Amino acid sequence: MQIQRDVLYALLLRELSSRFGKSRGGFIWVLVEPIAHLLVPILIFGFLRNRLMPGVEYPVFLVYGFLPFLLFKAICLQIVDGVNSAQGLLSYRQVLLMDVFVAKAMAHCVIQAVVFVIVLTGLGMLGFDVLPGRPVELAGILALTAVLAFGLGVVFAAVTSLMPDTRPVIKVMFMPLYFISGILFPVSRFPDEWVRWLSVNPVLHLVELTRTMAVDGYQPMKYMSLTYPLALALGATLIGLMLYRLRYLTRVTQ
Amino acid sequence: MIRLDNVTKSYMTLGGRKVVFRNLSLDLPEGRNIGLIGRNGAGKSTLMRLLSAVDLPDSGKISTEGRVSWPVGLRGGMQKNLTGRDNVKFVCRMLGLRRQQMQEKIRYVEEFAEIGDYFDQPVSTYSSGMQARVAFGTSMAFDFDYYLIDEVMAVGDATFKRKSRKVFDERLQHSRVILVSHNMKLISRMCDFIVHLDHGQAMCYENVRKGIAAYQKAGGEP
Repeated sequence: MQIQRDVLYALLLRELSSRFGKSRGGFIWVLVEPIAHLLVPILIFGFLRNRLMPGVEYPVFLVYGFLPFLLFKAICLQIVDGVNSAQGLLSYRQVLLMDVFVAKAMAHCVIQAVVFVIVLTGLGMLGFDVLPGRPVELAGILALTAVLAFGLGVVFAAVTSLMPDTRPVIKVMFMPLYFISGILFPVSRFPDEWVRWLSVNPVLHLVELTRTMAVDGYQPMKYMSLTYPLALALGATLIGLMLYRLRYLTRVTQ
Repeated sequence: MIRLDNVTKSYMTLGGRKVVFRNLSLDLPEGRNIGLIGRNGAGKSTLMRLLSAVDLPDSGKISTEGRVSWPVGLRGGMQKNLTGRDNVKFVCRMLGLRRQQMQEKIRYVEEFAEIGDYFDQPVSTYSSGMQARVAFGTSMAFDFDYYLIDEVMAVGDATFKRKSRKVFDERLQHSRVILVSHNMKLISRMCDFIVHLDHGQAMCYENVRKGIAAYQKAGGEP
């Protein structure tokens, strides 16, 4: 499908250039968010680091928690918003809603990759050991994160098309998700019963898996599983594509 | 030749399912300029959305031969934080044009729109007239067999109107138009085939005057 490839290419470039903007300011702004995310907890909790995790530096721990979390959040929310923001684009008969979704997901993989390579390089220059121990597996986990975000994003998009009132709910969900995904603290320090409940959250598994692949000697939580987020990612994507096929995602026109 | 075969289209609303067309079949003959008329809510815009493939029918088939444009003067397709130039680039890339061809189209739109330096400013800084100029120019930069026009053709000041009419008349030498309008003067000037939509039914008229008469009898304004 030559047309589809052209459309995806055009959408991807459009997404990237509208994100980074024409000026350098756009790009700096993209970098500021994750750096702020990193700095605040480092300043507040930095002193705890040795007590919590012998052998693992806190900034490195944080970075590899934020990496999958921000990737997940960006793709998921962008796709939910995509239904509305793409309406104008869909007037071009060549553009399908799914093209917009795929382009958005790809664009955010690129953006997050660029941002984190820069952040990791920065940390590396500050003397932290940031090189991932198992880079191939790490890339696999991040790909899985992207697929899960994509699948859930499409499902949420269908839900919000059917019930527009749920839109803010889905956005608000990401706030607590930040706290229950074990980004700031290693959940293995929590009581066992809590951890069992927390491990319902697939993002927590992905965060722990990312750290396991990236940081040598990292002690993940007891219930960490690859099968769970993998099954969820495939299931969500399947259901999402099905809902898409059944055209649950078309908005009522005014 | 555009053919609708047994097309049903409905929309979900809070008040339940609203059926716009039920089992609509329609043949739009080749080589004719088609005027789509009907009262508000008769389904003109829905039919346009179906023809431009923005929306898909619930059931039935729509087959089009030749290239059908997006709605001419489409402004919703422009990304507001990108420049006019980047928006034209997007359309070019989407249609598979690269480098040389793309530069030609960009130059065409830039010259057509006549908005000067604004062409390299974000669209969000444009006045609505400037947006319309770029949007109309983008539509005119590409060759289609059918141009879809929904209502407003007249944008911008008198000079621009004259210019766009001239360019459009040129296009009509080898392309056809499907025009939705309440302006019967415009319809009779541009079209030679009328589709009158009323209560989900489509009546075709070879004779423009008869079509307009039927529309006015059904309660349309003169």
